[in-house]
Amino acid sequence: MTNSALVQARSLRKDYGRGDGLVRAVDGVDLDIVSGERVAVMGPSGCGKSTLLHLLGGLDRSSGGELWFHGRRIGQLSERALAEMRRKEVGFVFQTFHLMDELTAQENVELPALLAEVPPRAARRRARDLLERVGLADRAGHLPSALSGGQRQRVAIARALVNEPVLVLADEPTGNLDSAATLDILRIFESLHATGQTLVIVTHDERIGATADRLIYMQDGTFTDETTLVGGTRRSLSTLIELEDSTGE
Amino acid sequence: MSRLLVILRLARRDLRRRPGEAAMLVVIVAAATAALTLGLVLQGTTAHPYQATRDATSGPDALVTDFPAGSGSAASPAALKLTVPLARAQGVIGHSGPFPVAFPVLTVDGHADAVLAEGRSSAPVAVDQPELTEGSWVRPGAVVIERSFADAFGIRAGDRIKLNGRPFAVTGVAVTAAFPVNGVGFLEGSSQWPNPGLIWTTTADAESLATSQYPLGYVLDLKLANPAAAENFADRFDQGGYTDNTGGRYVIPWQLISHQDSLLMAHEQKILLVGSWLLALLATGSLAIVVGGRMAEQNRRVGLLKAVGGTPALVAGVLLAEYLALAVIAGAAGLLVGRLTAPLLTNPGAGLLGTAGAPRLTPPVITLVIGVAVAVATLASYIPALRAARISTVDALADAARPPRRHARLTAYSTRLPVPLLLATRLAARRPRRLLLGSVSIAVTVSGIVAVLFAHATLAISQSAGPAVTANPGLADVGFISQTARENQVLLTITVMLVALAAVNVTFITWATVQDSRHATALTRALGATAGQLTAGLSAAQLLPASAGALAGIAGGYGLFTAANQGASASQPPAWWLITALLGTLIAVAGLTAVPARLAARLPIAATLQGDGT
Amino acid sequence: MQQEAVLAMLAKEPARAYQLRARLDDALGPLGEGLNAGHVYVTLSRLERAGLVMVEEPGAAPAGSDIKLYSLTPAGQERVFQWLSELNWPKPDLAEFHLKLIAAAAAGLADPVGIVSAQRRELLHRLHDAQQAAMGESADSDASLLLEGVVLRLQADLRWLEACQRTWASRRNDHRKGER
Repeated sequence: MTNSALVQARSLRKDYGRGDGLVRAVDGVDLDIVSGERVAVMGPSGCGKSTLLHLLGGLDRSSGGELWFHGRRIGQLSERALAEMRRKEVGFVFQTFHLMDELTAQENVELPALLAEVPPRAARRRARDLLERVGLADRAGHLPSALSGGQRQRVAIARALVNEPVLVLADEPTGNLDSAATLDILRIFESLHATGQTLVIVTHDERIGATADRLIYMQDGTFTDETTLVGGTRRSLSTLIELEDSTGE
Repeated sequence: MSRLLVILRLARRDLRRRPGEAAMLVVIVAAATAALTLGLVLQGTTAHPYQATRDATSGPDALVTDFPAGSGSAASPAALKLTVPLARAQGVIGHSGPFPVAFPVLTVDGHADAVLAEGRSSAPVAVDQPELTEGSWVRPGAVVIERSFADAFGIRAGDRIKLNGRPFAVTGVAVTAAFPVNGVGFLEGSSQWPNPGLIWTTTADAESLATSQYPLGYVLDLKLANPAAAENFADRFDQGGYTDNTGGRYVIPWQLISHQDSLLMAHEQKILLVGSWLLALLATGSLAIVVGGRMAEQNRRVGLLKAVGGTPALVAGVLLAEYLALAVIAGAAGLLVGRLTAPLLTNPGAGLLGTAGAPRLTPPVITLVIGVAVAVATLASYIPALRAARISTVDALADAARPPRRHARLTAYSTRLPVPLLLATRLAARRPRRLLLGSVSIAVTVSGIVAVLFAHATLAISQSAGPAVTANPGLADVGFISQTARENQVLLTITVMLVALAAVNVTFITWATVQDSRHATALTRALGATAGQLTAGLSAAQLLPASAGALAGIAGGYGLFTAANQGASASQPPAWWLITALLGTLIAVAGLTAVPARLAARLPIAATLQGDGT
Repeated sequence: MQQEAVLAMLAKEPARAYQLRARLDDALGPLGEGLNAGHVYVTLSRLERAGLVMVEEPGAAPAGSDIKLYSLTPAGQERVFQWLSELNWPKPDLAEFHLKLIAAAAAGLADPVGIVSAQRRELLHRLHDAQQAAMGESADSDASLLLEGVVLRLQADLRWLEACQRTWASRRNDHRKGER
């Protein structure tokens, strides 16, 4: 167990159902995530990547294997300890945003802080700062119904950051968004990465997956391939377009 | 025809998919209809039971009594000479007696009371032959007890009692029309025993029970040619007026006995009336919850039906079929429960036959109750069906119809509360109408309980006071053992029913709230709230309005009692009774809400979020 | 392509070589980093030889100089109009890779699945770089639009490669099963 490994999984498993109906959603996954790393997990739908993310974030309990987060074994944590972990150490971003319809953007963002018993005024200030950071300072008082998909997801990201988590988990964060909104989200993730935030993104979109430091392919509950995308020699971008004439002279 | 089959098949499949919800609906509608049935049956207690007893026992049109004026003075043979000729007076067509009456003290199981012991032969007589409801008629050494008295003292046939210290067996229990159910201001006794009971013995036993302090008196039962003119007859022969308490001879017309009975009945009727209104109120609340609640769920159901190709008419048909099936089952169950519990309340005139509430489910009652159940079903299915015709399938599936309400100030204020209260406030504010219904349910229930406590306190205080015949006797004047016991039983039964119905209401509201907020609950837990905080929040969301309702109920109960008592004197129950009622209610609500709350707070988070509240 | 692009840039008004390079830089953004001054001069010379452009002030400056002012000839103008209305679209050159896999499998020289994996990795790196560049651009720049196109094409290629992976992997499994 290396010191800088924030998340470690060994033979992680999650089963659903029993007997004939047994489904191994996650089937023996080994994973190491270093602090500050940006990891993407890609795969077809039903490959178990969302389930894996839920396990990492403490939203679900594993059926087998070991999972360490921030030096602690998660499998043994009580329900209350898991809740505290979700509150203070993990930020979750969902594909369908999951904002409370009856709360404004700001009230949505400050909610995890209130749950963490941050004083209301401090919580409100944090929320405002984060909304500014994602470019929605002028929409703080809007209800989700008055926001576009991309804006809602940005609110969701702000909410995931409000308690300064060590780990941010994003489940198909751009799944419901158009290209322009997707790029906005990617820019936010880029800025997060620049500040050293550890990110795990689950996606089926190569455009998102390729922005990671490390891209892991998943199929039928296991990892099938892994590509490290940083720390190599940088290619010239001009290889990406064809500028030369077909008929040279 | 095939359309109908499709509808029925869809309805059955839909119901099978949600057995829990269907069961819940049946329970609450059944409880409501039971309460409604009870209310209606109680209101139908108008029959005067005195008449039935009079018919069964050949009750006298006039009663002639000749009692010793005080200790030591026997009924003089001269007085007897005056009494007996009345049997042949003008207008008299039949008689029985004169029967000797002794005034022993009856003791049983540590209780003691004076009784009138009327001596009878074993052969039946033409006028006033008491009707046995238990056991057999008198024989030497064995007595028959009058039923209301037997009820009050808990005496059954086969028990052993003592009269003036001598042991006797109880061979039977009977009713008569010649003695008002509790002898209010009718038969005087000494001030030590203001409310004597009535028993029958053999003639010899009665004569042997006479003492020097209380020698024998005599009773003569008369049948008149013109029963309607019995009061005139009595006036002719009783110059002292039968309201004069100085002993000697009285002639009492049957109308007076009947009147005294009805006075007693009036109290019971009042209690039953008020109780029935309270039950009906709560029942209405329950039904409103059923109709108004779970609208979101119904919208989604509509969406699914439309998505599989249903036209609005088909959707309406399926919903109606579902709700009708549930309503008919629930209505029948409610009728049955109401029918079975009615006797607990409607046996007030224990001393009378064919009592007011020989509970009969008359066709009007059945029709009304089933009709209400069907109406509820129609209403509950009509509203979403109407919506089905209007909104698009997509919107229905997305459940865009009724988002939770937003309260900016409340939300802002809640940020200052500790986490469980923050959650409770926001949860409660999402559906204000449901909150109100819950609060009102508790208020009605507590009103009932508090009114009962006031009634009980008033009855208890007046138990020691002597009877007084006033023009408008309030509860304070009705302070007899058996009456008190009986009325307490009625009050208790009504209270229990109110509480039961309120419990069903609270459970349903909690369940509906939990269902509606499943997504929000899962999300809040994903954001870091513990299951314990959410359980507390869900519970408190019910408890806070319940507290308000309970407090309102205390005031309401006092008002209710005052109105029912119609300004007659009342006494206040001790403060600790009220506090216990209040706390008991809150604890009960907390308990009822804690279980579903806890279950909801421990559902798997990820699955619930992804399912999005289906 | 570059020839016609340079021609079209001269359609509005004559321009000097360095101005043309600047415009190309703007349009291509970071993707144009492989473009250097030499490329533009070579293209301009070719166009001049082809009679599509001409130098406004011949002889005023030595050849190859930055200061020469180029303009369109009538033939050049016609070529521009023609080019603008052409509906050519670059063909996706998938056939070569496709044949590569088939040849490798047939001759038993290499594992097609391995070839696909390697190619995927390469494309992922390119996509990574393209996204990095895209995020560096402002939303309404010309280059960002071009980058979006590049990204989308790479995504499409990656999806096809994933399909290749599935197909060739299952063929390999069938083959192995058959062998037993």
